[in-house]
Amino acid sequence: MTIGLNHCLLLAAMLFAIGLYGVLSKRNIIAVLMGVELMLNAVNINFVAFNRFTPVSDLTGQLMTVFAITVGVAEVAIGVALAYRIYNDRNTINVDELDNMKG
Amino acid sequence: MNELLSTLVFYAVAVVILATALGVVMSKNLVHSALLMTACFIGVGVLFIWLNADFLGAMEFMLYSGGVAILVVMGVMLTKREAGPPGNPFNGRKLTALGMVILFMLVMCTVVVSTPIPTGGFVSPDTVSDLADMMLNRYILPFEIAATLLLAALLGAIILAKGDGEA
Repeated sequence: MTIGLNHCLLLAAMLFAIGLYGVLSKRNIIAVLMGVELMLNAVNINFVAFNRFTPVSDLTGQLMTVFAITVGVAEVAIGVALAYRIYNDRNTINVDELDNMKG
Repeated sequence: MNELLSTLVFYAVAVVILATALGVVMSKNLVHSALLMTACFIGVGVLFIWLNADFLGAMEFMLYSGGVAILVVMGVMLTKREAGPPGNPFNGRKLTALGMVILFMLVMCTVVVSTPIPTGGFVSPDTVSDLADMMLNRYILPFEIAATLLLAALLGAIILAKGDGEA
């Protein structure tokens, strides 16, 4: 049986779901960042799969993936710097304790 | 024969990606999570190469399984509180999260299965020059915006990490 777009989309959906579970259920801010990275990768798989398996005429999907990867890497750099800063200021990176802006 | 091999490779890569991703979420030790995340990114890179996106595969290897993994491990090491291996605890909303994830998967499966998908496909013989052509002609504006974003992220990360007066 040939692998088509559906298989790639389902794989990406599962990876996204696992990342979402990590984001929602983890206590450590770095673990939450890892979940976000998994979700970003799932989206990139979707871009590339659509570019490969639908009738298009150029590599726009792959180019958008290049930009998505750029944004993702910038995001993780800022995220780690923020985590370090929060750890320095508060001596904790538990996201449950960071509730100063709670109404 | 070729078809069968391609199918086998896809399923093998899919199993590696999903197993390592589950390991990232479930592992008790945060360093193991970071290591498994690297393995997951390598799997995604192989999947990109399987999808005839060889440049993106190389990019994934270099940026994600190289750069992001090292950044995350540095983050783990710099924010360790107690002695011993850094833990990776769940918060109190495991079941809510599981419910939302199952809901998400149901919606996605319904959408993917019920949407008619046009057949066809596109394989570029030379992804690097095609991407370069598009990036420097038609998509020059997003390219420049991405460059500005990277500069801003660089400065922001330095200022955040060094503190107000020092940077």
